[in-house]
Amino acid sequence: MARVELNVKAPDFTLDDFNGKSVSLSDYKKKKNVMVVFNRGFF
Amino acid sequence: MAQLRQDYKKFVKLNTEILVAGPEKAEAFKDYWEKEELPFIGLPDPEHKVLKLYGQEVNIFKLGRMPAQVMIDKSGKVRFVHYGHSMMDIPENKELLELIEKQMS
Repeated sequence: MARVELNVKAPDFTLDDFNGKSVSLSDYKKKKNVMVVFNRGFF
Repeated sequence: MAQLRQDYKKFVKLNTEILVAGPEKAEAFKDYWEKEELPFIGLPDPEHKVLKLYGQEVNIFKLGRMPAQVMIDKSGKVRFVHYGHSMMDIPENKELLELIEKQMS
């Protein structure tokens, strides 16, 4: 297993979803847990 | 992705949103999402902005070429990270859901 840093603040980011709507990690703060999945590719 | 779709409602029940970031462009995301009827949020990241950010700051991806999952709790802290050593190296939903239930709700 790789060494990972747990319990640190996750770096915030903002990206547009595929419909052009802006999504930030901080949108979910105090509201929801978030699982970010990094996908290598669909094909 | 299909496996994750199956259990999406369980994640929602545990107050967890799923964001999927990938290197494809928006059109490719859209096509794939429509074809597979995926319920989660798709974030095209062709410039690898988020991947690089997480690689640098959270120190989880050495190459950023394999699938990875990062679980972030409501306070904004990283609670679980998994990164795959191969395309098939993905934790089971059951494992992820248990983690959320026990540690994050």
